[in-house]
Amino acid sequence: MAELLALAYLLAALSGGIVGSISLPIVMSRSVMFALTLLHSILGGAILGVYLNTVLRLGLPIPLIAALTAVGFSILTAELVEKGMSEDVATALSVATATTITIVFSYLASHVSSTAISTAWGYVMGVSAIATEWDITMAAIALIIVAPTIHLTMKEFRYIAFDEEGARSLGLNVRFYRYLFYSLVSAASAVLSSTIGVLVTHVVLAVPGALALRIGRGHTVVAYSSSLAVILLGYFLARVLGVPPSGGVGVVSVSVIIGMLMYERG
Amino acid sequence: MEAEEVSVIFNGQVALDRVSFKLSSPFFTVVMGPNGAGKTTLLRAIMGMVRPSSGRINIYGIDPARSPGKVLQIAGYVPQVINVNLHVPITVEEVVAMGVLAKVGPPRILTPRVRSRVEETLEMVGLRGMGRKPFRELSGGQRQRALIARALIRKPRILLLDEPFSMLDFDIKCEIAELLNRLHREMGVDILMVAHEISPCIAFQPTIILLNKRVYAFGKAEDVLRIDILRKAYPGATELPAGVIIGEDHG
Repeated sequence: MAELLALAYLLAALSGGIVGSISLPIVMSRSVMFALTLLHSILGGAILGVYLNTVLRLGLPIPLIAALTAVGFSILTAELVEKGMSEDVATALSVATATTITIVFSYLASHVSSTAISTAWGYVMGVSAIATEWDITMAAIALIIVAPTIHLTMKEFRYIAFDEEGARSLGLNVRFYRYLFYSLVSAASAVLSSTIGVLVTHVVLAVPGALALRIGRGHTVVAYSSSLAVILLGYFLARVLGVPPSGGVGVVSVSVIIGMLMYERG
Repeated sequence: MEAEEVSVIFNGQVALDRVSFKLSSPFFTVVMGPNGAGKTTLLRAIMGMVRPSSGRINIYGIDPARSPGKVLQIAGYVPQVINVNLHVPITVEEVVAMGVLAKVGPPRILTPRVRSRVEETLEMVGLRGMGRKPFRELSGGQRQRALIARALIRKPRILLLDEPFSMLDFDIKCEIAELLNRLHREMGVDILMVAHEISPCIAFQPTIILLNKRVYAFGKAEDVLRIDILRKAYPGATELPAGVIIGEDHG
């Protein structure tokens, strides 16, 4: 029991690290909408995976299908933006397509298997109350890849977010950095979705970054510490309340947002 | 610099229509015209960021459509301040340093040498000692100066400025115009700017390109700023007994 608990909190800490590294650039570059699109894509991919496994009995790893779908939609969005479409419109197109996949394959899966929808729903809610060594490995790999890459290229992300046209005029390869950023967010979102759940990833991706920008100093430290605090406290609260971890993390995230608004109003 | 019959068409809409002009270095030139006249498109075509549908541009012997990278090495671009995202936490020093750090690969470290170059450039534009300030805490005029410094630190042959006077009080506009004229005179930097308002720099006798998709007039102020020409270039102008109001100034 103690070992299971330790694994769950270790997974929570790793998830906190991942969120802490990507949340600030997401908020700074006003890519929250894009991050939400990814989560729709991940959900669409997960349900597509469930459907394929149920109907064709392929035995595909659902997180992999979800991650590939997310990467596919992120490349589509990045390419549409590069071709001159506004980020909002490109994002809306991707969301619409991903949501259509979710709805259509949920409907089809429910016709062929009584457990398909509950499997997919587990993906939405998060299954990390019983973290496995596989979950820990995936989260650790994601953290090792995402966090250092973000820090190594933070200047470029910040600069492109500050003035994209100016960045292009200075010779920065904006297209490369946009692809890199979207790919990192895809990878992080896919891992977070399979651990803390799609719904709560929606919430936690933006909260630490927004908090760091509001506080105005030591952005990176604030992003990491608030992210760790939100997820670990969320896990603890979930255990106390007897709800899934995503429920606890959601409650803490909402409390942080309300606290931030109250602080700003004086 | 020479533009020869340059046309730019976006999705069937003509942005520039057979634009031609020739400027001999050193030049201090203002591109004037109403909203949607293609002024920014012209700047972007000169930078090689937009490819003309027909015609050609020659800037110091370089064709920007073929070698945009070479143009970016000799040109300093100053975007409109309103296009800058002020939510991004970035200091003035970091903004200016990116002018040189963009030329090297990550992690683009701010070395003491880069810092001292940034400080020198900030002094040149009248922002001495402001390097550690967050960009968003600067006034409108200071922000414009910081963006000019970012372009200037690359030691460009030409500065291309997109509406450097927008959203500024008149006396600040005059200060920016004076700064640009000083850089032009003392450092020999060619200036090509897009502006809605010519009065802040009229004293420096700039060459004016009056543009509304096509070039309506080209030359010195006394030849270009004639009511009959302005009426043609600004079809939405308001006529008053005392003259013509040709438009607004982005605030």
